[in-house]
Amino acid sequence: MSRVVSLLLSCLVALTAAVLTAPAALAHNVLISSDPKDGAALETGPQSITLTFDQPVNAGERFNTISVLGPDGTHWEAAGEPTVRDNSVVFPVLPLGPAAEYTANYRVLSADGHPVSGQLKFTLTKAGTGTPAPTPAQAADAVAPAGDGGGVPIWVWIAGAALLLGGGVFFALRGGGGGKEDAGR
Amino acid sequence: MTLNRTTTPARHRVLGGLLLGGLAGVLLGLGLSTTSAVVGDPGVVVQVGQPVVRTLLDLAATAVVGLSLLPKLLGFSRPALTEPVMRVARPAAVVFAAVWAFTALLSIVVRAYETRPDVPLTLGAVVDYVQRVGAGQGLLFSAVCALAYVWIGVLAARNGESVPAELRILVSMFGLLPLPITGHAANWKYHDYSMISMELHVLGAAAWTGGLAALVALVAHRRGLLAEALPKFSKLATACLALVSVTGVFNGVLELALNPVVTLPGSLFTTSYGLVLVAKVVCAGLLAALGANIRWRLLPHIAQHKPTALVGWACVEVTVMGVAFGLAVVLSRAPVA
Repeated sequence: MSRVVSLLLSCLVALTAAVLTAPAALAHNVLISSDPKDGAALETGPQSITLTFDQPVNAGERFNTISVLGPDGTHWEAAGEPTVRDNSVVFPVLPLGPAAEYTANYRVLSADGHPVSGQLKFTLTKAGTGTPAPTPAQAADAVAPAGDGGGVPIWVWIAGAALLLGGGVFFALRGGGGGKEDAGR
Repeated sequence: MTLNRTTTPARHRVLGGLLLGGLAGVLLGLGLSTTSAVVGDPGVVVQVGQPVVRTLLDLAATAVVGLSLLPKLLGFSRPALTEPVMRVARPAAVVFAAVWAFTALLSIVVRAYETRPDVPLTLGAVVDYVQRVGAGQGLLFSAVCALAYVWIGVLAARNGESVPAELRILVSMFGLLPLPITGHAANWKYHDYSMISMELHVLGAAAWTGGLAALVALVAHRRGLLAEALPKFSKLATACLALVSVTGVFNGVLELALNPVVTLPGSLFTTSYGLVLVAKVVCAGLLAALGANIRWRLLPHIAQHKPTALVGWACVEVTVMGVAFGLAVVLSRAPVA
């Protein structure tokens, strides 16, 4: 028996090595540096915010998002997707307005597929000429009709899968076991 | 939902211990890890729901592995004694495999939502997530393996041991392999070593926990069978304990050591990752003590077919294992810095 088990285990290890050496980094990304830096004081507003991590960032629609909050909860992030270049993400930012502290909350998709989020703050010392972005509520109103036509809600699929699996197992065990092995779940 | 046959309390206690332990582990792990305020926060429901679904997945998969190992532990020489046990074990394995497949698919959906909370959750969004993110592909592959097991398991339930036990062990363990991809099991450097180490960790933990749970739930009240099977399992458990501890410490310390922001001795106690890791080491210590108790105090009596308090002790051990599983799920995603 031990020989069979050890044979199985060595097969598994070999398969593991073959299957899994290909994919890329799998650990959580860690923020190494940013431009502007956290706590920086700037005379002119940045055109973009660059976040650099220790590992590649997953690119994809809406995976990586940022919100730049100014005074009175105004939003200053520009619409449009950020640019992902290897380990760094560049988020476009609107020209800033009043001289104040701005807070950037970001969320990026780490190399291991986990969302990683964080925050950095910087201060604008001289007022700029920009105007804030429309509030998320207004933006959502504009987007919502397009996004809603996307198809059947996901819970229908989940319920379907549960029904199919549960029913399949129930009837398979019932039918074959002559009604003796009742293990419905 | 349980098997409605001659109900023995051991079965319910083992299952309850695993589930409650898993839930306690998730909550303990979440309590130990600091959660930062997140932009577009997916909400508390997802933050707790994700690890709970994942722990259910892991425990269901572990039960499948354990039930598949059972014929190997019982041996094939006395079918008159082992067949009544296997007639319960085979359909139970099918049910757990179905739960495994379902929770794996559900886990993909939860992760797809968590990654993009501001995008409407449709099948298209989930498919897109699977195409882009390795974790989604890993879970999908695991679900496919679980479905394959359901099919093989149904054949086994109908035809008995003519469906080889090795095939069932192989398929169930193969389904575990893609799961480490979904955590930050490996790092950029030393990626190959840490990935193999993590695979061994998962397989060892599954064989250990699943084997013990299956044995106690289905065999503990049959002294004759137990006297033969428990010594065999005891050897397997010792190997698994060593394997799981070594690989777990290796991966945990590597993850902390390679982090560019925090330094090692301190980060064990200052980071979420370090704290959950310490909690898991405590679990491993407890399990070693409980295992030693069964091996050296109870096993001699069991070998002589004497009644012992095995079920009680084993249920405690299984519960601690459940806690470790819950912690593991939180650990695989806990922020290091």
